[in-house]
Order: sequence, then structure tokens, then C-alpha cells
Amino acid sequence: MDLNKDLILEHQPSDSKSSSLNSKIGLESVSTLSKSYTSSSSGTSTNAVSTLENKVKLKGAVGGFDPSSPPRPEDPPLLPGEHLQGGARDVTYLCPYSGPTRGFLSVTNYKLHFRSVDRDPPYILEVPLGVVSRVEKVGGQSSRGENSYGIEIFCKDMRNLRFGHKQENHSRRNVFEKLQQYAFPLSHKLPLFAFEYSETFPENGWTVYEVIAEFKRMGVPNDMWRLTKINDTYEICDSYPAIWAIPVTATEEDLRAVAAFRSRGRLPILSWIHPESQATLTRSSQPLVGVSGKRSRDDEKYIQLIMDANAQSHKMFICDARPSTNAIANKAKGGGYEAEEAYPNAEITFLDIHNIHVMRESLRKLKELCFPNIDEAKWLSGLESTYWLKHIKCILAAACRIVDKIEIHKTSVLVHCSDGWDRTAQLTSIAMLLLDPYYRTIKGFEVLIEKEWISFGHKFQLRVGHGDDNHSDADRSPVFLQFIDCVWQVMQQFPNAFEFNDYFLLTILDHLYSCRFGTFLFNCEKDRLAEQVKMKTVSLWSYTNCQLDLYKNPLYYSHQPQVLLPVASIRHIKLWRGLYSRWNPAMRPQEPVYQRTRELLALKEQLEKLAEDSRKELKSRMARSMNSPTRLSSPIHS
Amino acid sequence: MADKRLTNSFKSYVGLDDDYLNTSNEDSFSDQLTVRLLPGESLVSEAQNVLMFAQVRERKQGKSGLLCVTNFKLSFITADEKSKEEVAFQDVLQLGENDVCLSNIDALYLFGDKKRKLVPDSRNITEKVKGLHIICKNMRMLSFSFKFSPVGHGKTLTNALLHHAFPKRHQLLFGYDYSEPQYPCSSETVMFRDAGDWGKELARTQAQGWRLSAANHDFQMFSSLPRWLVVPSRVLDWQLGEAGRHFNSGRPPLWSWSSPYGAALVRMADIVPTITDRVQENIMLECVRKTHPRLAPPIVLDLTKDLPSCRELQNSYLKLRELCTPEDIKQFWVQDQHFLSSLESSKWLQYVSACLAKSVQAANILMRDTTVVLQESDGRDTCCIVTCLTQLLLDPYFRTIHGFQSLVQREWVIMGHPFCTRLAHVYQQDVSNQSPMFLLFLDSCWQLLQQFPTHFQFTETYLTVLWESALLSIFDTFLFDCERDRMAASAEPNDPLILRSVWDELVNSRDAALFVNPLYFPSDEKIDPLSFKPSLPNIQLWLQAYCRYIPILEISGGGPPQIDLTARMLTGQVEGGFEGPPPKVGSFFPFSPPHASAPPPALLLSSLSLNTSFHSSEMMLDSQSILNAPD
Repeated sequence: MDLNKDLILEHQPSDSKSSSLNSKIGLESVSTLSKSYTSSSSGTSTNAVSTLENKVKLKGAVGGFDPSSPPRPEDPPLLPGEHLQGGARDVTYLCPYSGPTRGFLSVTNYKLHFRSVDRDPPYILEVPLGVVSRVEKVGGQSSRGENSYGIEIFCKDMRNLRFGHKQENHSRRNVFEKLQQYAFPLSHKLPLFAFEYSETFPENGWTVYEVIAEFKRMGVPNDMWRLTKINDTYEICDSYPAIWAIPVTATEEDLRAVAAFRSRGRLPILSWIHPESQATLTRSSQPLVGVSGKRSRDDEKYIQLIMDANAQSHKMFICDARPSTNAIANKAKGGGYEAEEAYPNAEITFLDIHNIHVMRESLRKLKELCFPNIDEAKWLSGLESTYWLKHIKCILAAACRIVDKIEIHKTSVLVHCSDGWDRTAQLTSIAMLLLDPYYRTIKGFEVLIEKEWISFGHKFQLRVGHGDDNHSDADRSPVFLQFIDCVWQVMQQFPNAFEFNDYFLLTILDHLYSCRFGTFLFNCEKDRLAEQVKMKTVSLWSYTNCQLDLYKNPLYYSHQPQVLLPVASIRHIKLWRGLYSRWNPAMRPQEPVYQRTRELLALKEQLEKLAEDSRKELKSRMARSMNSPTRLSSPIHS
Repeated sequence: MADKRLTNSFKSYVGLDDDYLNTSNEDSFSDQLTVRLLPGESLVSEAQNVLMFAQVRERKQGKSGLLCVTNFKLSFITADEKSKEEVAFQDVLQLGENDVCLSNIDALYLFGDKKRKLVPDSRNITEKVKGLHIICKNMRMLSFSFKFSPVGHGKTLTNALLHHAFPKRHQLLFGYDYSEPQYPCSSETVMFRDAGDWGKELARTQAQGWRLSAANHDFQMFSSLPRWLVVPSRVLDWQLGEAGRHFNSGRPPLWSWSSPYGAALVRMADIVPTITDRVQENIMLECVRKTHPRLAPPIVLDLTKDLPSCRELQNSYLKLRELCTPEDIKQFWVQDQHFLSSLESSKWLQYVSACLAKSVQAANILMRDTTVVLQESDGRDTCCIVTCLTQLLLDPYFRTIHGFQSLVQREWVIMGHPFCTRLAHVYQQDVSNQSPMFLLFLDSCWQLLQQFPTHFQFTETYLTVLWESALLSIFDTFLFDCERDRMAASAEPNDPLILRSVWDELVNSRDAALFVNPLYFPSDEKIDPLSFKPSLPNIQLWLQAYCRYIPILEISGGGPPQIDLTARMLTGQVEGGFEGPPPKVGSFFPFSPPHASAPPPALLLSSLSLNTSFHSSEMMLDSQSILNAPD
């Protein structure tokens, strides 16, 4: 089966350059498409069609399909576990770039599929329903204008889709209902698609991250740090992982007492330790200081233990990710920040990163600016007024400060914000990415996401709103998207420091929303365990790790400097056009050097193989000419 | 975090207003420092114990040394200065780490009790000069303090600088004094000084319906145009003279390029404003139409309407320069807050985008086999930009180094872009004619490189050095307003100017390896259109050209040089030459300060040999086919 078939793309096969994806992979979109359709629809269409037949018979819809015919070209290719739920013919997709096109619209339990009949090659649109944030009917009985009657779909991935229905076909209601049901299954008591998806892969992505192995890689346990299973049943902190690394000298009682003084029990625990200096990066939530300025001897002592675990420095930096005004305001809600008199050896710094609501608003403005078309006259000032790049700059600058403290001053750093699952996750993960080249490999990056985001309880369910129809939920926010953007910015500044390319990042973001994999479902480890996610769903890494070549950066050079220090000036920070104006064919993908570099690499490998072959040939010839075979028993390969 | 990036070469930490001076640095105030001079270069003035301040760093720093003004450059010399060999581009540009050519200096500011801009006039300044702030045309800024200099040194030096950096006559430029012997060498870059060069280009492009005219052989007919003109075959020389008088600057339609299918790219000026009828224009356009094999009428693109005027562009450039020359770190971060909207209000990127959009439009029309006539008021500015970009978009020959040099030589140098006026090589009280049109062109080329990184043989470093060399008074290439002036200067009986073309220097310099793009993949096609996207969001700010003098913007171990060096390493490995890790260089390599770590020369050299072996056969073929082409 073709592995690319479900990549969410607005295919415009006439111009392969219009899709950043295709030029990245170096495949002709047309051929990819046709291949995938024949292979996948032949496997699963019987089932899908029978489902559809029932529906059509029941409704007897005028604009529906003809139930008597065998699998038709307009049927979408289906994934294992995916079923056709409904559809309509004679629907017009109002493409903002190439104009209206008429064809078949199908809805499955995973995606929306449109295939035009009036263009050759046909215009194909495939959108996983997970990216849908809102579906609305446009126009009513009295609508007169062409295509004024139909459906508008608002997506989480920087686009909106408009479909025009013919009133006389009465096809809109069915499509609308199906879209509602399968875009928001949780609101309709239906399972997320990840629980129905049954594709198997040669590798099990759920084994990518093993907490013990990852700590072992960092040299933990050691003299100063040990592992504890005190949170085995998620009793001390329900949003934390089960296994923690903590200072050797901290007792169970200490941990319970500290947890009581930290918001939602998220006490400081180890994220990363410097392999040489032993300076550490720890994370937590805010202390429960409150208006009265409460103190906790246990918390103070525990911070001292973290500081003492690093012999190189007699200081500790506490980085509060929030602007200081927000940190102060949080005192009124019982939170706050560490008073310097209570933590005499600690220096507290506020890193000025704004909250989830500010970020959501910023992205909303950015989408308004980038989609569907860009007003060139006000492009740069418009971009500035979204503040999106400014927020990115702020996060990067903050991560650089953390790296500076750990790497250059050899001082341990504790990072927190309010709850320690949004801004904190951004900062610790980016700092780790800058500090440790392991996280710049594909496998290492997967581990980083599993560890700092998934296991530490970033609330993916709440922030993305998987399968939930409450599009205006104030808990939604593009926190993880911002993190990926920051990674992209660092990749731009260090083009050979990462094993993966930006297509890998795009793939991760696509499946952040798609609900095809279990990786980004639920809010915390505890929930995932209860829902048996690892048993019942497929990991995104199962999918990515069996097609690694797609994600490799040909410029990658593994012996890079250990620590990266990006320059956090807006002069260097760019808008990721491949993501934010991805659907606009007038925008050019940013990295066309990949193809050429890949060719050079292939050439190099070819030559190396040639050289290796001739070396072997030479050795075996020498071996044949010698008389004592015993001396040659040692293996030749190095 | 900046601590690691700070360099140690700056010894003293003295601000302009600090009264404290670390006396241990007294030793470095040595009067044994001397300025290195080129043949023909002479010392004009010097000031001792001058402090030079580092540009935009986290901390205010300065180092002490000798500041000199010669008839060629402003030079700051310290005891720890690097030898010539260690400074990149010394070879081409003849300048040391802390030198700037006088032609590069654009504005002087006096630091006294308050900042004051100095205007070069006949009067000498009489007040005490505490400090000097210099803004260069290449966006470099220099700050000096004379606080510790002997009394009067600051004033004397400033007066000398005012006098020599803004010469009143062309003959005062250093090019006239430079006495290094010049040996003519054969080059693949075509100079278009004689009929043969034009004939070969006509043959290479298989141009039909056009002929070479010697009507302007003595520059009498059209003073700003070259000796040889390519005109529609139907136009007789007397007609050309008659028609030419109706066009601004005497510029009737002249040939630039022909597509293999027959359409041509043509450039011309507007009709002289006092002439009301367009009869002569119509006659000439009719002749242009008849050059087309199908006699298809040409499309005229009005560049005046959509592209910036000289004045608009200069204003834009000044705003951009302000953004790229923050006085200190504080101003740098203040600018960062509103950088994008400030950049927008400079309009620089809009102008770049507009030039490219026009060129894409012209290229598209040519691809539909229709002749394009570019029309601009004088036909000497944006015409040069658009005709070159259009040819770059279509004809892969111009994407090679020699092809590109031949293109610039033909469309800018020979066709009479007024370089001297636009770059203000000679002081002009009326500044309204100063305008960095050539920089706008180089920036547009850089945008092409960004979208098509494997289609061009030259690198962004090449373009940056080309811009530098335009601000240098050594090469004749960018010193004159037209070919007639150049020929007159070289034939002057008393003080002839030795012609030194920049092209040979660039190609033969020690740094030439850095000009060759390791990712370049030559095209075999006669015509290979690039689908360039010129819309503003696709246009970027050229950091290497504009920000390389802002050290805190340098990404240590990152930036585009990493792509370049990794590719060189790969090609080196493929060739079996260079082995080893890519060197850690900064993002402004090779313009990083010399103390930044440099890549092993072997890497650059290996890739040079690689590239020549890779492509030399192609280039040989090209030049061979040109030579053998029927005239």
C-alpha cells in the first residue's frame, strides 16, 4: 500500500510545485495519487460500499449514489478500519486558488474526500475530519447566487473549505450530519477514529520511548539522582508520569510535602542532566504562595537538594516562563512564584511568555492574514500585528537563556509557569533540543515529544479539542504548534544540525489533529493507561519510523557542535510559509536544496559502496592467494 | 550567553564618555604602527591613539590604534592586526579588516557635545573633534574617539577625510593614482567593446532581424551609448540618428536578447517630454515588430509607472540602512520590536518584489513568443535591472559566472548605467541623483538564488563582493557614467586611467572558490525558464549583504554557510578529495571577523578544483560554441 495516500493535501496535479509536500518527497503527485487509489480501494471497498448502500436505500436521496453499481472511481481510498459514511454528487468545491470545481464529496469516519469530475486530471481534496473545528451551513431556502447554498468547514490547519450544494438535490443535510458526527465523534458518543484504525506496521512506535532507558542514556540513576515509582498509581500527581527522577537524598515524605505546595501536585522533577557538569534542568508548576506569601520549608529544602546535586554551582536559576505581572496576579488565585528571601540561593527570572489565550488569538490573526490570500500591501506590518513571530522570538530567547545558564554557567535551572504543562513544556523541550544533539535525531525527537509533552501531561485533548464540537472552548490553544514552529526556526538557523527535515515536522502537526494515531490523544499518562491507548491504537511513530527516508535531512551532519545557540532576533525569525501558507500555490516552498543534496548523498553512497566492494574483492583475492585459512578467521567488516 | 561569542581582540572597555582608562593598555598606544600602502597610494593624514568602537555588541568595547586617511582608504591599524593573508577578500578588495575605501563613505557625523552631520564644503571645521561616526554605503558603520589622541589630531584627520572622501572631480579618484601594473589576460567574460563580441552574442541567441550598427562609433550620435548598437535590421543608420533625438538620453529601441523562437527583448527610453507626437516611437516600434519572424507586434512594458524612481529608491535605501546600522545594542533591540513594519515602510522589499514581478511578466510574454520592449524614462536604470533579470529567468548561460559577468558588463556597464552618479563616486551637492539601482539588482538576483539554489553557478558571497567592488575606486567597471567617459579617461594624454576590469579580478582572486556554488547543476537547455514567485511574502531580507556588520546577528555554527560547506564537503567526498567534519563557521562567513574560526583552506580549495573539474567542460563547450558560431 502506498504510504503517502492519506497525507492531507490539496492536490492540484497539474502543478506538482503547488504542494510543498510533493516537491519534498520528490514524487509526482499525479502518479502517487493514482497508485494509491487502485491499491487501497481494491482492498477495502466492498465493505465500504455495502455500508453506503444501506444508507442510500434508507434515505433514498436524490443526489446520492447509485447503489447498484460496483466500486466507482469517485469512492475514496480507505484505510484499514475506515468506512464510507455518506456522500453527495454534484457538489462544488470552491477552491480559493483554482476556482470552483464540481464533483463527488464523500465522508468517512476518518476523512472528507472530494474528487472533481470536470477537470482532467481530477482535482482531489482529502481532509482528515480531525482537523475540522467547526462546520456551518451557508445560505438557506432563499439563497439565489451561484454556490451560495452549501457548507463551510473551518479547519485547525490554517484553512477553511467551502462547498456549494444544489438545493434541488437535497444533498446538504446528509453531508452536514455526517460531517458533524465524524468530525466530532466525542460529542456524538462515537469513538475517535484512532480506536477503529487497524493498520499494522513493522515497527511498534509505542516502544520508542522507554522512560528507564532514556534516563539511563542520561546516566541516571547516579550519585545524585535516583528513580522513584512513588507515582506508580498517579496518586501524588495525576498529570505526571509514573516514574520520576529526583535527588537521591529526597525522601517519599519530602516528595509528598513538596507536591502539596505545588499547583496540581506538579513538584520539581528531572528533565535533563548535563553529561559533564551535572547541571540539571528540572520542571514543575508554580508554588502555592498565595496573597499571604505562604512558604514551605519542604519545598525550600527540596530546591536546595536539587541545587546541591550539582557540585559545579552554588546557585540555582528558577525560570518563571510568565510575564512577572501574570505571576504576581496568580497570587490572588493561590499561586505565585518563589520569593527570593525564601530561596536564598535561587535567582528568579521571568521570561515574559504569554498565556494560552494570547497565543490562540495570535494564531487566529495569523490565519486571517495568510488564508486564503495575502494582502501584499500590508504583509509585513500585518504579520507584525499578529505578534506570532514575536511570541516565537520570546520563547526562543527564553530557551536560549536557559541553555546559557546550564551550559555556560553550569548552573541548574528549574522551569515553571502556572501549571507547568504548556509554557514549561515548550521551554524545557526546546532547551533540551539545543543542549543535547540526541534530541535532534529522528528517534531522539520522538523521545523528546513523548517525554516532555506526552508523559508530562501537556493537555493535548483540551488544547486541540479532539473530536469535540465546542470550537470556542477557551482551553484550546496552539501551544504544541508553537513548539514545532520554534524547532523549525532552529532548523532554519542550523541547517545541518537536525537529522530530520521540515516535512517530518509537518507530518507530526498533521497527525496532531488527524486522530488517526493514539499518540496525541488524551491529557495525561493516567488517562491513556485507563483508555488502553497503547493496546487499542497505533502510534504515530509506527507510521513514521517505517518510512524514515522521507523525513531525513540530507544536510545532516551528526558531529555537530553539541550546543546550539540560535539568535532570537526578529531579523532571523521567519514565517514558516510551508505551514502557514501551505495551501496557497503562489507561495514557494522554502528548501529546494534538499533534492540536490540528496542526489549528492546518493552519489557519495554509490561511490562508497563501489570502494567497499573493491576493497572486499581485494581482500578475498588476497585470502585466496594465502595458504593458511585460520589466520583469516577474524571478520573483515569494521 | 553572549559571553562566549564575544571576542577577545577588543582590549579596552572604554565608552565615549567614560573618564576611566585602563593604563595597562598604554603599551598598545604605539607610534610605531604604520599604514600599508598600495602602489600609488599616499598617506594624507593620521591620528594617533584613536579608539575604535566595536559595532553593536552586548557590551561597549573599543580598541586603540592609529587612524589614517590616504588617497584610497580610511585605515585603522592596531598592534594585533591580522596579516593580509588572513583577511578574506583582501585579495579582490585590497582592504584590511579595519579599512574602508573612501568611495564607500557616505556620511560623517561629528560627536561633540551633540551629534552633527558634516557636509563637505570648502570650509574646514574648526571645532574640537571628540569623536567621529561614519556611515558607509555598504551599511557598515565605524565609530572613533579621539579622546586620547594628541590635541588637534581628530580635527586634522576629519578635515582630511571630508576633503578626500568626497572628491569634487573624477580625476581625484584613486583609480587614477593606482600604479600597480596591469597585465591584460584573456577571459571568458565578454566585454562588448568590439563588434565581434556583439556578433557572437547575436549568433549565440540566434537573433533574427537585428543588425549591428556602427553609427555611434565615435559616441557622437548618442553620448551615453556604446560604440556598437544592435538595432532592427530595417532601421538605417540615418533613421536611427533621426529617431534617437526623440527619445530621452538619445535611446531608441535597442536589442538585449532573443529567444530561440524569434521574440526579442528590447530596451528604450521615453519620448522626450517636449515632443508631443509619438511618430518616431511608432516608426521604431514598427521596425521592432518586423524583426519578429511572424511579425507579431511587440508588447511595451512601462517601467516608470511600476518601479521606483531614483529618488524613491534612495529614500528606501536610507530607511533600510537606518534599520541595518543601529548605533548600539539598545537601539538594536528597540528596532527589533517593530522591525517588520519598519522594513515595510522602507519599501525596499516591495521594490525588489516589483522588479522581479516585472521581469517574470516580461519572461512570460517572451515565452509566449512575443517581443517585449522595456520602456523607462531615461532607459538607463530600471531598464538595466529588468532586462538582466528577464534574461536570468530564461537563459541558463547567464547563470554561470562568466555569463553573469558578461550580462552585467553588457546591460549595465556598456549600455551606460550612470554608476558614477548613482553611487556618488564624485561629490554632488544635489543628492537627488544618488540611488543604489545596482544594489537593487543584486538583491533581486539574490532572491533568484534563494528560490533556485541549484540553478546558479555563483553564490551570495559573490554578489556581496560584487557590491563591495562597486564601492571601490580601483576598478574602472563601476566608476563611470558611460563608455564614452571611460574611453576618454583612458585616453587622457596627461594622466591616463589604467583600465582594470573587476571581472578578471573576481574570477582569478584567491577567494574565487567561495564564489562558486557547490550545489550548482548546469542546464543543457538553450532556454530554461524559472518559475520564480515574486510576491512579497516570498521575498526575504538579504542578511549577508545588509547585516553582516552587526556581530550579534551572526549565528555561531549556523546559517547558510553550513549548507554551502556541507555541500562542498559532500562534493569533496564524492570526488575523493576532502575528508573530515564541516568547519564551524558563523552565519556571516566569509565576512565574519577574521578572529572567528575559519574553515581549512583545503576544503575550499578542494571544492574549487572539484567545481572546475565538474563544470569546466561545460563552460569550455559554451565558449567554444560561441567562438565557432557563425557571425
